[in-house]
Amino acid sequence: MDANHHQELLKKYAEAIVKVGLNLRAGQRLIITNAIARGVPPAGRALVYEVTKAAYAAGARYVEVVWGDEEMLRIRLQNAPADSFDEYPKFFVNASLDMIKNGDAMLSIYANDPDALKGLDPERVGALQKSHLQNNQEVSVNISRNAINWCVVASASPAWAAKIFPDLKPEEAEEKLWKAIFETTRVMQPDPVAAWQEHIQNLVKRAKYMQARKFSSLHYKGPGTDLTLGLPQGHRWIAARMPAENGVDFTANMPTEEIFTLPDRHRAEGTVAATFPLSYGGSLIEDFSVTFENGRIVKVNAKKNEAILQKLVDTDEGSTRLGEVALVPASSPIATRGHLFYNTLFDENASCHIAIGRAYRFTLTGGEELNDEEFMAAGGNVSLNHVDFMIGSSQMDIDGIKEDGTHEPVMRQGEWAFDA
Amino acid sequence: MNNETFDQLLEKYADVTVHVGLNLRKGQRLMIQALLDDAPFVRKVTESAYKAGAIYVDVLFTDEKLTRLRFEHADPESITEVPDWTFARNEEYFKRADALLGVSSSDPDLLNGINPDLIAKNRKARAEKFDPLRKYDSDYNWCVVATASPSWAKKIFSEMPVEQAQSRLWEAIFSACRIDVADPVQAWKDHTAKLIKYRDYLNAKRYSSLHYTAPGTDLTIGLPEKHFWEGGGGTFKNGIFCIPNLPTEEVFSTPHKNKVDGVVKATFPLNLMGVLIEDFSVTFEGGRAVKVTAKKGEEDLRKLIETDENAGRLGECALVPNSSPIGQRGHLFYNTLFDENASCHLALGSSYRESIEGGPDMTEEEFASQGGNKSLIHVDFMIGSGEMNIDGIKEDGMREPVMRAGEWAFDV
Repeated sequence: MDANHHQELLKKYAEAIVKVGLNLRAGQRLIITNAIARGVPPAGRALVYEVTKAAYAAGARYVEVVWGDEEMLRIRLQNAPADSFDEYPKFFVNASLDMIKNGDAMLSIYANDPDALKGLDPERVGALQKSHLQNNQEVSVNISRNAINWCVVASASPAWAAKIFPDLKPEEAEEKLWKAIFETTRVMQPDPVAAWQEHIQNLVKRAKYMQARKFSSLHYKGPGTDLTLGLPQGHRWIAARMPAENGVDFTANMPTEEIFTLPDRHRAEGTVAATFPLSYGGSLIEDFSVTFENGRIVKVNAKKNEAILQKLVDTDEGSTRLGEVALVPASSPIATRGHLFYNTLFDENASCHIAIGRAYRFTLTGGEELNDEEFMAAGGNVSLNHVDFMIGSSQMDIDGIKEDGTHEPVMRQGEWAFDA
Repeated sequence: MNNETFDQLLEKYADVTVHVGLNLRKGQRLMIQALLDDAPFVRKVTESAYKAGAIYVDVLFTDEKLTRLRFEHADPESITEVPDWTFARNEEYFKRADALLGVSSSDPDLLNGINPDLIAKNRKARAEKFDPLRKYDSDYNWCVVATASPSWAKKIFSEMPVEQAQSRLWEAIFSACRIDVADPVQAWKDHTAKLIKYRDYLNAKRYSSLHYTAPGTDLTIGLPEKHFWEGGGGTFKNGIFCIPNLPTEEVFSTPHKNKVDGVVKATFPLNLMGVLIEDFSVTFEGGRAVKVTAKKGEEDLRKLIETDENAGRLGECALVPNSSPIGQRGHLFYNTLFDENASCHLALGSSYRESIEGGPDMTEEEFASQGGNKSLIHVDFMIGSGEMNIDGIKEDGMREPVMRAGEWAFDV
């Protein structure tokens, strides 16, 4: 890919993000950030510039970029006093809440290093992560209610590319990662915006089918996995396009290949084996499985970073339970690339997945109107966390179980078992 | 400079910034304002600050290119919009008297070609938004230092490839900040002790005015009765002594806001938020700038002094010998932190509260009645040269030489 062609694609990508992902309206302000690094890492600069131009062209009043340097987090974790991790700048929370109140838009750009916090003391990493979740809670609650139009996208970064393609030279690895990003976000197609509209329609059809079946639970079977997840009454299957409370329809993830809803926080039984490593707070948890009883995680097992996984589960009561169940065929364009991305945005769209922690309010009919207690009573989960992990593979079968106990195939060998 | 040496010097520079410039105390928070390209230096400072006992180091990175993109692409009507959070993020730290580090490495040509009217509107809107932060100015230890960004280096050493220019600029920064000596901390002790002697000499003299003469300059600056000369650092309300600029070669006070008369010719171009003003003169009457002329950027300069009622009055007069190590380098830096330490200078706009005895505790009215100036701006410009003479004039009209041919005219 020559430099001009790359720049051209970056521009098309930025346009798709602004027009499809955010669907940014004239007069909105846009804040661009990244929760993991507390701001967009410097590697995301080139994409930030193009998005900024596209946003102003779409009539944005103001574009603010919060920058974050993962190396600063690492230095803090290594050097700051152990009792200082509650220090947290309030302005970012206030700024985000101000934008939410004002009906502005928010974009998160991933350009991180999946191993940024590798080798650091899990106690400290956990303490810092918990402080971030607690301090930022009001923002994440608002975002997960879809208070405003928001979107999560990725930019290649040298460290991330090297993690995925360790055998390639740095420039080749980065170029290959950009190619993967452009292809999976449909930017290589002649008219990316039209391609996205068609894709969104297809996903919406799948969600409508699942909605009409009104399953009361799903049964997953695969190597190391035998899991039954209850679905609460009023669960809503969501795909690719949602209305925000500020009145703007948006697509929260690019790429996106999933349809998803919430499981009943009280009804999960059995064991599930993860099929991908999980990158959490800068650490990689590998080869792990989780066992549930009555919706609660009673046991975790991991070949690598089990302590970090346990810390995640111990964050709060809601982190012992699930908040999302998502279906993605094993033949998804991301899965067929045949490699891990070490990044949830991509890996979750390569595989069926579930999430530990908070359920999205909009996945339950009327969920936005309920207080925490009512939401939990209806089967919704409340937590500081929302962490996806991948469980799908071409050896996974999923049945839908109706109220009367009848089973219907939903997926077979990782693929949709119905036409929509 | 090989990479290893550079890395060691950068680390020493970070340590001097933390221990000498900021004099960071155990248990303090540190807020850093820097450009994204400053990250390698910011990381070193952060590590040094934690080792000095900081409980939290936060950095607010900005990317100048986004500033330019906004001027180029945003609706001109929206250019005066300054979101509340840009104020709040500073106030959060200022009101706790946490330490503040500014890292300066701006592209001197950043806003070249942008409509001066838009720039002025944006500058004024920002200054108005941030004005309430001024009340914290005397509260906390702070420091401004520089890093060699590619665009800044290229501006100074335009004939060199960019890496070479950057390396030259780093060398100049390390040298001006006394990083390349065996014991920088001791070197700074010696240097500030010297500046403090000049400061004490001038404070003891109680001059009622200064008279500047040089080619194109014949200016009399009245000093407030309670004026105070500063130099070599100061102690702020949180009780911490710090050196607010690295490098620093100046001894400075404030003119009386109503007592400046005559004409002064700038001897260096002025870099105003990415626009260069060149070959300019300012004429004062009764403290106010009544006329400006400039070969380049005259409109930008006029807009600057029209920012508010007192933007055309002076808030600082600083003395720097022409032989200062920065002046001796013989080239412009296009950056106030350096150029102001190569030359005698003045500042349009606000006075520092510390420049008047008891100033930090005065109300705005008291400060103004003592001759202190209050404006949304504070912009330094250079007037010194090897041809400048300055006399100190006492209450009774007696004259004493303060500087001759750009050098101190007295011993301390």
